[in-house]
Amino acid sequence: MKTGIFICHCGHNIKHTVNVKKLSEYFKKYPNVTVSQDYVFVCSEPGQDMIRESIEKKGLDRVIIASCTPSLHGEMFKDVLKKSNLNPFLLRRVSIREHCSWVGDDVEKNTEKAKRLILAGLYSAAHYVPLEEKRVDVTRSALIIGGGVSGLSAAAFLSKMGMQVYLVEKEPELGGHVRTLKNIWPAGKDGKSIIDEMIEELTGRENVEIFTSTTISGFEGFFGNYEVTLDTPEGEKKLTAGGVIIAIGFSPFDPRIKPELQYGKDDRIITTLEFEHNADTLQLPEKPRVAILHCVGSRDEQIGKPYCSRVCCINALRVGEAMKDKYKDSYVESFYMDVRAHPRGGEEYFEDTQEKGVLFTRANVAEINLSPTGIVIRGEDTLFGETFEREFDLVVLSIGMSPPVDNKLIASLLKITLDKDKFFMEAHIKLRPFDTAVKGIFIAGSCSGPKDVEESINHGRASAVKLFGFLNLGYAYVDPFISYVDPKRCSGCRMCEQACVAKAIKYDEEKRVVHVEEAACMGCGLCNATCPSSAISLKGYIDCMIDDEIGALLEAI
Amino acid sequence: MLQDKAEKNPEIIGFACSYCTFKASEMAGSLRMKYPEGVKLIQVPCSSRVDPAFVIKAIFEGADGVFVAGCHPGDCHFIKGNYFTRRKIAALKEMFDAFSMKDKLRLFWVSAAEARRFIDKVTTMYNEIKERKNVREKN
Repeated sequence: MKTGIFICHCGHNIKHTVNVKKLSEYFKKYPNVTVSQDYVFVCSEPGQDMIRESIEKKGLDRVIIASCTPSLHGEMFKDVLKKSNLNPFLLRRVSIREHCSWVGDDVEKNTEKAKRLILAGLYSAAHYVPLEEKRVDVTRSALIIGGGVSGLSAAAFLSKMGMQVYLVEKEPELGGHVRTLKNIWPAGKDGKSIIDEMIEELTGRENVEIFTSTTISGFEGFFGNYEVTLDTPEGEKKLTAGGVIIAIGFSPFDPRIKPELQYGKDDRIITTLEFEHNADTLQLPEKPRVAILHCVGSRDEQIGKPYCSRVCCINALRVGEAMKDKYKDSYVESFYMDVRAHPRGGEEYFEDTQEKGVLFTRANVAEINLSPTGIVIRGEDTLFGETFEREFDLVVLSIGMSPPVDNKLIASLLKITLDKDKFFMEAHIKLRPFDTAVKGIFIAGSCSGPKDVEESINHGRASAVKLFGFLNLGYAYVDPFISYVDPKRCSGCRMCEQACVAKAIKYDEEKRVVHVEEAACMGCGLCNATCPSSAISLKGYIDCMIDDEIGALLEAI
Repeated sequence: MLQDKAEKNPEIIGFACSYCTFKASEMAGSLRMKYPEGVKLIQVPCSSRVDPAFVIKAIFEGADGVFVAGCHPGDCHFIKGNYFTRRKIAALKEMFDAFSMKDKLRLFWVSAAEARRFIDKVTTMYNEIKERKNVREKN
């Protein structure tokens, strides 16, 4: 056996707390280790060439790369091995960045830990065998959950590229929140016309099926062939989808959670969304006094919403502008923490609004009291450090975005994760912002965190492109980590059959042994841990690999 | 003289489900959160892959503590793997109890988003085991 160990410095990321030179020297003395090298960036072009050269010249048959976590650059390093005619499953990644150099400060201790981790990789890789990737057929169809702007834009792209699209919407009408908006900043366009334009594009196409007033009641199967059960008004409907895009949007924050704001007790306290709908029908005196409260339901640790909702500052500015435009002599005051007018043109818009006469007061609003003549706001001006009490005729709460109401239902049906704010979580915040941890399931729009209309449309399109890349070939390769049975050892006790959740294990009455249905096996390894006679093993995680890993992490060296 | 003895640091082996706890540990790393070097993880596809024999083997090899960490009940990527884990570890704990080693084994649920929870859990476990280990050494 010829093993090559490549230790990455990752610039300074690993090198600053792990003595990489010492590591590469240390592993040279091990039998079976042919190459032990450290390099600045193993993932760079020269780094990849170095691995290829070592494989080809020294005839390596195991490659251990000690660098970042295995989920990063996984496919890339596999390709390096493939190009050198080595089976990609003879590669072992050892995470010495996320699990070592970044989590400890002591150089000596970290080096010792990295040594153990690499040793575990070395011992475990000794048991590796070449594996063949499993090829599965992929149904060229996509299920899009949610018919808001991001769902519609994803559907438009996928259908244009010739995929069968199933668009599912819970409400009787497509369009989500955007449909109800009258004026979308900065274009000033009507939300309904944007939605109608998008729907028109879809309705003409044969490969689009739209289900409104429909929910999802069942979701099974694996990447490429998800079996979905829809609960439509016409009854249950089953369909097969190759991939899924979740675009279920957000739900507006309900200010009733903050009772000090008195929302719902008086008609003169409204949210920005209500203002958008009923701006023309509001009953106001000639010189109205209007207060606008920023960050209602955002950046508030007490109610468990520490995040910024990103859209509400612009909404608040728009309310102020609309008031000033309609009533010249109005008194409009905005109570803010910070004005985060982040989209393009936002800062200029903020200045314009100030010039129009909207007052901005940095304040913490403590409570709102109702009085016969108006609404009294009490709070603290945080710049002057003084308390104030002022009376208004109208209070507009600039509400933030809360996670969608169905987030938990969808997350448990599709087996994906929610982040700490209960939005859907992406696979990697920077490198894979559209993917979920489950292959073939993508997220789009504000269900993965607050987004404005433009961002939601872009996010929907981007997810659609990513999904198209999966579906287009009609087949895909999935990890070959499935169970296999050694019939000589199998006693036919059928314990694994009972344990298997995927029902992938079948009993052969004649031979009195079990066998694994490869297509159905999910690769959890439960059967392996259950078998009393060690007859069934999970490829890639067989008993001796994990045993040796435990040994390597603990043995005296 | 006993006080002069250097503090002993425990070795802890953790089995981490690659869909949740391993992801949480990656995130903890990316966020530069710190936890003791004695905690080392072994990646498994699902917490149900952990054979009780692995836990026993780790204790035999000299681990001061072993934890098995998986997805929250109901969130398992393999539908109900973690329910099996829960039962297996509960039975194993009963057995460990007979040898007064119950606190060497822990089971916890950490989702992929809960980097902070991961850090809290492993650090608490580490500190508790370390305290006990050093007390025993002194006596």
